[in-house]
Amino acid sequence: MDLTFGPDEEQIADAAAQFLRQRLPVSRAHLEHERQLPAPLQEIAELGWFAITLPEELGGLGMSVVEDAIVYREIGRFLAPTDILGTSLAAEIAARGGERELAGALMAGTAGAGIAIPLPGGAEGEHLLFNAGAEFAATAGPERAALWQVPTDGKPFSCLDKTIACQIVNLDPASAVAVSDGPTIFRRALLATAAMQTGLAEAVLAMIVEYARIRETFGRPIGAYQAVRHPCADMAVRAEAARAQLFYAAIALRDGMDEAGALIDGASLVARRAAIANVDRNIQLHGGIGISEEHDAHLFMKRAQVLGQFLSSERATLDRLAAAGRA
Amino acid sequence: MNLDLSDAERAFRQRARAWLADNVPREPRPTEPMAAGAYDRAWQRKLHDGGYAGLNWPAAYGGAGLTLIEQVIWYEELARVGAPGLNALSITINHAGPTLIASGTETQKAFHLPKMLSGEAIWCQGFSEPGAGSDLAAIKTRGEIVGDEIIVNGQKTWTSYGHLADYQELLIRTEPRSSRHKGLTWVICDMKSPGIEVVPVINMMGEQHVNMVFYDNVRIPLSNVVGGVGNGWSVAMATLSIERSLSYLIDQIELLERVEQAFELAQNVRLDTGVLASEDCELMRRLADVKADAFAIRAMTLTNLSKINEGGKPGPEGSLLKLYCTETVQRLARIVREMLGLEFLRYGNDRTSNRWTYEFMWAWVLTISGGSSEIQREIIADRLLELPRAR
Repeated sequence: MDLTFGPDEEQIADAAAQFLRQRLPVSRAHLEHERQLPAPLQEIAELGWFAITLPEELGGLGMSVVEDAIVYREIGRFLAPTDILGTSLAAEIAARGGERELAGALMAGTAGAGIAIPLPGGAEGEHLLFNAGAEFAATAGPERAALWQVPTDGKPFSCLDKTIACQIVNLDPASAVAVSDGPTIFRRALLATAAMQTGLAEAVLAMIVEYARIRETFGRPIGAYQAVRHPCADMAVRAEAARAQLFYAAIALRDGMDEAGALIDGASLVARRAAIANVDRNIQLHGGIGISEEHDAHLFMKRAQVLGQFLSSERATLDRLAAAGRA
Repeated sequence: MNLDLSDAERAFRQRARAWLADNVPREPRPTEPMAAGAYDRAWQRKLHDGGYAGLNWPAAYGGAGLTLIEQVIWYEELARVGAPGLNALSITINHAGPTLIASGTETQKAFHLPKMLSGEAIWCQGFSEPGAGSDLAAIKTRGEIVGDEIIVNGQKTWTSYGHLADYQELLIRTEPRSSRHKGLTWVICDMKSPGIEVVPVINMMGEQHVNMVFYDNVRIPLSNVVGGVGNGWSVAMATLSIERSLSYLIDQIELLERVEQAFELAQNVRLDTGVLASEDCELMRRLADVKADAFAIRAMTLTNLSKINEGGKPGPEGSLLKLYCTETVQRLARIVREMLGLEFLRYGNDRTSNRWTYEFMWAWVLTISGGSSEIQREIIADRLLELPRAR
């Protein structure tokens, strides 16, 4: 048993962070905040990120959800575009659904996909699509994942997270381009989302810790006050819990353990809470500057709200875990 | 990264499971303090005979010499069958023994270690004082060195199992006018020495668990000093880091089992609304939320052990775990309180009368003892986050 990164795992994380730091830094999210920029999908495709978990015979890298989680944690840390996950899920749905050519285009980044979530109370087939500019929309539920061509008659939806173009689209169940039955893609998507939430929770912890060391009030750095130190310690607990459970669950899924489904739901819950609670504390502890547009804090807060609704609501996740029975 | 157990580890699980099936005491632990002590000694004796005493002690000192992973397996198996913990022997095995192994003389080890393992000797801790709890370095109990003896005067408190103990790990100030971490000495104190008075402190659960210990000119041979006169602080800190990394292992592993027991309880409890607790969405979601935390605590525990296995020392990560685990135990206890409603109020002043109400109160022992949650947050802020010092 070993739950620490080996050299290969360290290298995957470092390489991902290095690419993101150079090409998709958080400062880009500020620009996106004003005008959504297309994600450099082809450049990302060269890293193989749209095919990490696909077996080699389907044109993928043949790696596991563990490597996937390592990469998505970095993506979350840098607030990189959410269509990376959308395109990657789409490639997997297309490949597993027998659409080899489409899968190839998605893996190469010449076609992109967003993630679509069913609108509760909406008309049949009505979805909120994240990354409206994409050609395709991917959905992933516990029983089935599917891929659609994005219809042209979408209704505008202005998203809280200005880095993400959204629209409301009607995805007719009969017109899916590819489907993949079973929980495989849903579980992977839930883990990748938890990984982004984990990276995000770690990023805002690092942000407030750095600030608390230098910002002074009443003649002392704010990091010397217990009113600041203790919530930071709680942020560290949440981030570490999310990180540990993320990789434990990823290994369980990779190795086909019986309780993998429950462990992934657990990872989803602790990572969501870490992201949502840490962005909250980060803004509060920054004080006035924390609510300004120029600061990064609100970008992380807004992304955390989006990720918190991706794929499976907290409510649905809790209900699955409550029904899972003895682990 | 992997979760695989080696062949040896899997074989160990089989062995442990088989041994526990044959040897776990059938009768529950008595509530009367002295009878409970006798029960704990008998269980320790049995563990010793079975080769399961001193799990983390090196085999050279008569311990089981288990790896960290094997210890996890052992505690998982223990939790699975609801076997008793070390209880009165926990300080003996988890603190005192490892401290003697690390810092004691060969004579001290040869005399004390076998008695600890066999359950013949129970040890208690003599660190905290009325004015030195969270701020342990404020210790005032004096030890005056006279010839080849130390004359001890003062008072200790919160001494778990002091009423049963044969020996005490006693931390005293041997350098007059010294302050804080300097001038302290760690000595082995024979609890039968003249001048010692043990006064029980009954806790809010109604049991005698902790005590005050008074010292009136208690004479301790200088040869009982462990780790050298004046080195008490570093000797004591070694003990505390063992406490943080090992003693909570069992709480962490038991938590998951308790969550499952709460889910089972929910199938048998009817709420004031008339529905079964297991059919109440809100309660079930709160329980599921705690289950997610129990998973994460297990994952953190194993991640931590992996780091230690790779040559790391138990570090501030232990504080993250202690804080997270004990606060989660408390949250679980509060959810069960909601679930039990009026039945929660049934309590006959001992733990067997209502295990859930008892555990609700016991949760405060966990969040306060061994460094309170507030102290753990300070340790995390100082040592993990490297924030500017508050003190």
